[in-house]
Amino acid sequence: MKEFQPIAARPAPIKTVGFTAWLRDNLFSTIPNAVVTLSVIALLAYYLPLIFDWAFWSANFTGTTEDACVKEGACWVFINAWSYQFFYGTYPVEEVWRINLTLVLLVMVIAASFTLPKSIRLKASITSWLLLPVVGIAILDGRLLGLEVVSTDLWGGFTLNVFMAAASIIVAFPFSFLWALGRRSEMPFIRSVSVIFIEFFRGVPVLSLFFMGSVMLPLFFAEGTNVDKLIRVWLVLIFFMSGYMAEVFRGGFQAVPSGQYEAADSIGLSYWQKILLIILPQVIKVSMPNILATFVMLFKNTTFLLIIGIPEVVQTLQTALSNSYWLGGHALEGYLFVFLVFWGSCFSMSVLARRIERQMNTDKRD
Amino acid sequence: MFKQKTIEEVKSASRKSSSGTTSNAFYNNPRIRGFFYQIALIAGLLYFFGTIIGNTLANMEATGIKTGFDFLGAAAGYDVLMSLISFESTDTYGRIFVVGFLNTLLVSAIGIFFATLLGFVFGVAHFSHNWLIRKVALVYVEIFRNVPLLLQVFFWYFAVLSSLPGARQSLSLGEAVFLNVRGLYMPKLIGGDLSSLVWIALGAAVAGIFVLRRWAKKRQELTGQQFPVLKTSIAMVILFPLIVAALTGFPFTVEYPALKGFNYFGGITVIPELMSLAIALSVYTGAFIAEAVRAGVQSIPHGQTEAARSIGLRENKIMSLIIVPQAMRVIVPLLNSEYQSLVKNSTLAAAVGYPDLFNVFVGTALNQTGQAIETIFMTIIVYFVVNMVISFLMNRFNNAVALVSR
Repeated sequence: MKEFQPIAARPAPIKTVGFTAWLRDNLFSTIPNAVVTLSVIALLAYYLPLIFDWAFWSANFTGTTEDACVKEGACWVFINAWSYQFFYGTYPVEEVWRINLTLVLLVMVIAASFTLPKSIRLKASITSWLLLPVVGIAILDGRLLGLEVVSTDLWGGFTLNVFMAAASIIVAFPFSFLWALGRRSEMPFIRSVSVIFIEFFRGVPVLSLFFMGSVMLPLFFAEGTNVDKLIRVWLVLIFFMSGYMAEVFRGGFQAVPSGQYEAADSIGLSYWQKILLIILPQVIKVSMPNILATFVMLFKNTTFLLIIGIPEVVQTLQTALSNSYWLGGHALEGYLFVFLVFWGSCFSMSVLARRIERQMNTDKRD
Repeated sequence: MFKQKTIEEVKSASRKSSSGTTSNAFYNNPRIRGFFYQIALIAGLLYFFGTIIGNTLANMEATGIKTGFDFLGAAAGYDVLMSLISFESTDTYGRIFVVGFLNTLLVSAIGIFFATLLGFVFGVAHFSHNWLIRKVALVYVEIFRNVPLLLQVFFWYFAVLSSLPGARQSLSLGEAVFLNVRGLYMPKLIGGDLSSLVWIALGAAVAGIFVLRRWAKKRQELTGQQFPVLKTSIAMVILFPLIVAALTGFPFTVEYPALKGFNYFGGITVIPELMSLAIALSVYTGAFIAEAVRAGVQSIPHGQTEAARSIGLRENKIMSLIIVPQAMRVIVPLLNSEYQSLVKNSTLAAAVGYPDLFNVFVGTALNQTGQAIETIFMTIIVYFVVNMVISFLMNRFNNAVALVSR
């Protein structure tokens, strides 16, 4: 008997599988779609080579002075020559290890709050976070540690943006938590004070807050006290940040089911035990993506410090652009560079925020 | 932290409290506690503000700063770069306040208009069937959302607009619109005697659209017949003023910008400061609005689209009749906060020297008069009021699109 031999299955039509199918579905599904695709490709084909040529092939990479820029493309020598100032401002070169040390400490504290064993993680990381601004300022300023004093006029560059943002959000964290609790409080006066505070700092343009810090705040201190400008701005940033973060935490509090509060009450925890041991860890977990988003906003806003004359990175760039040895018009290179630095840091943080959000979503589904 | 207690201990503890010993004391009563906390807060705040006010008065006396709002009537003595109402350097600080306020409104209005446009275009583009378009939308949002606004303002101002050609080599569009390093020059319509009639006709046409829409909706509900509302309204808005203009003999003259000496004169001039600020605000806020639109559309369950397909709606009708009206419920509150932050961000005018309220008042007037508290608070109040108006309008709009529950 002849064994049944099925004919081999015919391959799927070429139109429905593989690359051509993808092309048909995604780029050329209809005639208008094909027209759009072709015009986008044409635009890219025209501009991308020009951009690449400017940025890479006919760009100048080596050298130390403006004379080294002989080719007509970008003059990356400018960025190279000023890179120290862009990152560290006018901080003395022989003391720059202090900035690097502070950066390392910052990274270590961030790493510690994710990797420490669970039993000590919360306490250890909260302590190190709260100590970090104090230690950082002590290292950078040097007065308390017996190092050479570096006055705050010399601090600057991109690291100043990072430090201002980090120091503000760390100190704002406990405050914003209190404001958020105040806004949820049942005591009418405490609630209205919290609401007024939060809405004031959220409703006012951040620039006017900086002006308050630089022009109005000195009037508030007792006669003769002279508070450093950077510290005044820091105070303003802390207030600004705690207003925004309070709203983030309020969202977090609302996301914690009321059963959690009731359960904590029923096992006889006091108010602060309930808040700190039961509610806060859950609030921080739920609000993590929003905290990161708020931090990105704060980080971007640190560039506004330029307006009141603090030498953060954009201000440094403008100084470099008006330097008499570099008058060849490097605005495009300079701004593109700072653009990319900020974009890199903010984009990676928003990717991180999105990843955390996705992880939390799966938690809920389980 | 907590010792394990035996049943006996717990029982005795609860017996103790019910028999009215320590834990029923007055300081354990939450109401009395709350009362004292609030008293403490009031006392603290009073002390805080008392110290601040005392220090401020003492400091102002020591440095000889005047107080009060008399300075508003004094001559400002400086000129502003751009003004929507006539302004000379002999005018008062009060008038400069109005000039700055109008400039702020102008740049905010331009910014809100273009940001909404960009945001909706790129937000919807995220759902395009075309892979390239989707990627372009993604790149736009991710680039411009993640770079500080100030940097973008500078980028447009110093790196793009200042590399435009000079007046003699201006880029031109049909010899009517010119773009050069000094700004954008556009023709201006100057109305003659009867021109107000044309504007009235335009207004009537716009009012007519609302009547038409209402009538068309009613007719559709009664008879099921649809009326081409969009085409008719476009025709109305264009044709009606045109007919009136023709009847009155075109009472307009067009003033074209013309090159005289080193620059263009006449027509409408948009200074590069305004341009860079408006572009940066629109592009930056547009990226956020695009995200809001995307979130809104994504919040609609896919079943809605499938249900709409199954009753035979065409794809574009599904978008406009089913998806967008529901997505608006998510989008409008987000739009509200984006518009408010756009208005607040317009203070960045100070960075490029566009004379908005913040720049002319907190920048220059404060510098000249030294009256920090008055100028800063007057300015802040204006931003509060503008944002409250935006919030009020958007909430009205939100009520219109919100889910009507029975």
